[in-house]
Amino acid sequence: MSMNHTAQDALQQTYDAVVVGSGATGGWAAKQLAEAGLKVALLEAGRAVSPKEFTEHMPAFKLKYRDHSPEVVRTRPIQKQCYACMEYNYEWFVNDLENPYSTPPGKPFTWQRLRVLGGRSLVWGRQSYRLSDSDFKAARRDGYGDDWPISYGDLAPYYDIVERYVGISGAAEGNEMLPDGQFLPPMKMSCGEVQLRERVKAKFGHTVTIGRAAVLTQNHNGRLACHYCGPCERGCITFSYFSSPFTTVKDALSSGNCTLFTNAVVSHVNMDTEPNKARGVTYVDRLTRQVKEVRGKAVILCAQALESTRILLNSSTREYPNGLANSSGALGRYLMDHVVGAGASGRLPDFKTLPDANEPQRPNGIYIPRFRNTPSSNKHSGFIRGYGYQGGAGAGFNFSAEGYGASFKKAVKEGVYEISLGAFGESLARWDNYCEIDRDLKDAWGIPALRICMTHGDNEAALMEDAGATAAEMLEAAGAKDIRVQARVEMPGMAIHELGTARMGNDPKKSVLNAFNQAHDVKNLFVMDGASFVSSACQNPTLTMMAVTVRACAHLIDRFRRSEI
Amino acid sequence: MKRRELIRAGFLTGAAAALRPPLGTAQSAAVPSELTPAQSGVDASKDLAAPGWKPLFLDEHQNETLIVLSDLMIPATDTPGAKEALVNRYIDLVLAAETHERQQGFLNSLGYLDGESMRRFKAAFRYLSREDQDVLLHALAYPRNASGWTGERDAVPDTGHAHFEALKQRIMTAYYSSQIGERELGWDGAFAHGSYEGCDHPKGNHK
Repeated sequence: MSMNHTAQDALQQTYDAVVVGSGATGGWAAKQLAEAGLKVALLEAGRAVSPKEFTEHMPAFKLKYRDHSPEVVRTRPIQKQCYACMEYNYEWFVNDLENPYSTPPGKPFTWQRLRVLGGRSLVWGRQSYRLSDSDFKAARRDGYGDDWPISYGDLAPYYDIVERYVGISGAAEGNEMLPDGQFLPPMKMSCGEVQLRERVKAKFGHTVTIGRAAVLTQNHNGRLACHYCGPCERGCITFSYFSSPFTTVKDALSSGNCTLFTNAVVSHVNMDTEPNKARGVTYVDRLTRQVKEVRGKAVILCAQALESTRILLNSSTREYPNGLANSSGALGRYLMDHVVGAGASGRLPDFKTLPDANEPQRPNGIYIPRFRNTPSSNKHSGFIRGYGYQGGAGAGFNFSAEGYGASFKKAVKEGVYEISLGAFGESLARWDNYCEIDRDLKDAWGIPALRICMTHGDNEAALMEDAGATAAEMLEAAGAKDIRVQARVEMPGMAIHELGTARMGNDPKKSVLNAFNQAHDVKNLFVMDGASFVSSACQNPTLTMMAVTVRACAHLIDRFRRSEI
Repeated sequence: MKRRELIRAGFLTGAAAALRPPLGTAQSAAVPSELTPAQSGVDASKDLAAPGWKPLFLDEHQNETLIVLSDLMIPATDTPGAKEALVNRYIDLVLAAETHERQQGFLNSLGYLDGESMRRFKAAFRYLSREDQDVLLHALAYPRNASGWTGERDAVPDTGHAHFEALKQRIMTAYYSSQIGERELGWDGAFAHGSYEGCDHPKGNHK
C-alpha cells in the first residue's frame, strides 16, 4: 500500500527493535529485549491507561444505565458480544464504527479488540494452561494437519520463566494432557465442585481441578494477593491479576531502554533498499492523523493474530505482492478460534447453602482437562482431538424464581445451588479459514480493513455434540437435577482465542515463520503472537503465546549478540 | 477487620507506584479523556431521585401503571420494594434510550395488561382494586400447558404469560440493580470480604 506525506525525520533514531502491540506478548517482547540492553520502540495503537480509571469497586447502581448504556449499543455493537465490554469500561474496547471489518454473507465472525496500553490483557479471562506434546505433535498421532516445529521440551523452560513472573495459581495434577507448572497456591473449590471432582474421578477417571489462573493467591513480585472482589475485567487496584501495563511494560520502561509510542496505529512494515530486510514501520497518529515512521533493526509484530497479519497483508511489495513475507501463500490462512457453545447446567438440590452477597468473589472456576483421544484413552470414532471444560458450582440468588410479590422476593433470597460446565474445543487448522484485505473497506485512519472468512467444521460440531452429552453425564454423577444441555456451535470469534494466519513451520513453502517466530522470507521480521500457532489445542492460549514470545526473544537477543541482526 | 485494613493500605502503596508518570513516553499530544463516565468517577446513583423528575419516554398513565405494577411485583415487606427503589424511573430512562422495537415491545406488554383489565374488569389496570389486580396477575404469572386429557403435555402459545415475564424481567432487573435492591440481597457495601475459603468437608460429605 502507499502512504503519502510520510514524515521523514532526518535525525530519526534507528531502534534495535520495534515492537508493535503492548498486550500480553508485546509487553513480554519489550521487557525481554529492553532488559537485555536493546533499544526498543514499543508502539501501542491506543492511549495510556491509569489505575485511576479502574472501576472494579463501583457498584452498578452508580452507573447511569446500570450496564444498559445506549452508548455501548451505538458504538460497540460487536464488542458488546463479549461479557467484559460493559458500561464501566467500554472505552477500552475499540469503537466498532471506527474499526470495521467484513465477513462473507452467512459466515459471521465476532472480533473483540482493545486499543489501549495493555490491550486485551486488561480484560482477559486469566485462565493459563500449558500445552503438551499431544498438542505440539498432534499431526503425527492422528494424521491431521502439521506438527509444530517445536516440542514441549523446547518450550517448557520458557513456560517456567513466564509462570514465575506472572504468578499462576493452580494445583499440580500430573495429568498427561495438561503439564503442571510453577504454581502459586491454588484457589479453593466450592463444596459442589469438590463433589463433582470426587464423583467424576470415581465414575469416569477424569480430573476436575481448580482453574489455573493468572491471579495471585499470595503477594508476588511486588504485587498483592487477590482480595476477591470479583470483576477483574474492570481493572485491579492491587494488580493481582496479570496485565501488561503494570508488569512487563512497566519493567521495559524502567530499564531505560524502551520508548513507548502511544496512539501509534501501525499501517505497514517498511522495507529497506537491501533485499528482504525490514526497515521499520509506518504508523498513523490516532489523534492528529499524522503519518510517521519508526525505524528498527528488527521489527516484531505482537498486535494479536489478525492485526499482525493485517499489517503484513498491508505491507505488500513488488517481491511480495500478496503480503509481506508471504512466499508460502500461507499468510492469512489457517485461522482458528476455539469452538464453544456446548455444555450443561443443573441444580444440586441437596446443597442447602444460602447465597451470600458478602461472600468473597473467586475470580476463577474449575477446569476439566481434555480426556478424548489422549495417549491413554481409546481413539474416538466420531472426531479427532478434543475439548476441555470450564465451569463452577455455588449458591446464587434465584432471579428466575417463579411468580411475583412477597413470595417471589423471598424465593430470590433463598437462592439456588447451581452447577455448570462449558466446553472449549480444538479448532482445526484449515486452509479455507482465512483473512484477507477488503479492498473496499478502510478504518478511520485510512488503513485497509480485513475480510474474515471462517466457519467451524464437522469436527468442531462433533466435539460440541459430545461435549454437551458428556457434561450432562458428569453433572448427573455429581447429583445434579434439572439438567439442561447445550450442544450448539457458536460463531467463530466467540472464544476470543484467534490463532494462526502466520504459522510457524520448518518448511518455508508451507509456513510463514520458522521455529523462532522469524519470517522465513525476511530475517529481521518477527511475529510473536497467536498468529504463529500451528494448531489451536483446546487450552486457553495466552500462557503459550507468552512462552513462545520469551523463547523467540531469547533467540533474537542471541542473534544480536552475534551481530547477525 | 484487620485484614481489610491491610488490604486498603496495600491499595494505596500499589496505586501510588503505578501512578508515577510513565518513563520514556515519546509523545505529549493532548489526549482527550476517552474515559467512560464510570472511569471518570461519575456517580449517577442520585439522578433518578432528583426533585421535579419527569418521565422521558412514558406518558403519565403508563408511568402510573408501571408504579402500580412494580409495587405488586416486588412489594415493600420488611424491606423496601420496587416503588421505593424508583424502578419506574430507571425503566423510563432505559426505554428512552432504546430502539423503537424494544420500546414498542414494552408498550405492547403494558397495553396487554390494560387490555385484559378492560376486558375482564371494565377499567384500566391502575384503577382496579388490589384484589382484582392480583386476580389478573395470577392468571398471567404461570405458564400454560395443554390440558393433558388428550395426552398432550406441551406448552401452548401463551401471549399473556410472555407479556407478564417481559414486564417482570424489566422490574426485577431495575429493582435488584438499585441501591435498595443491593441492600435487599444483604450486601454490606464493602468490596472485599477476605479470602475465598471453599469446601472443608470430609470426602463424600458435601452439603
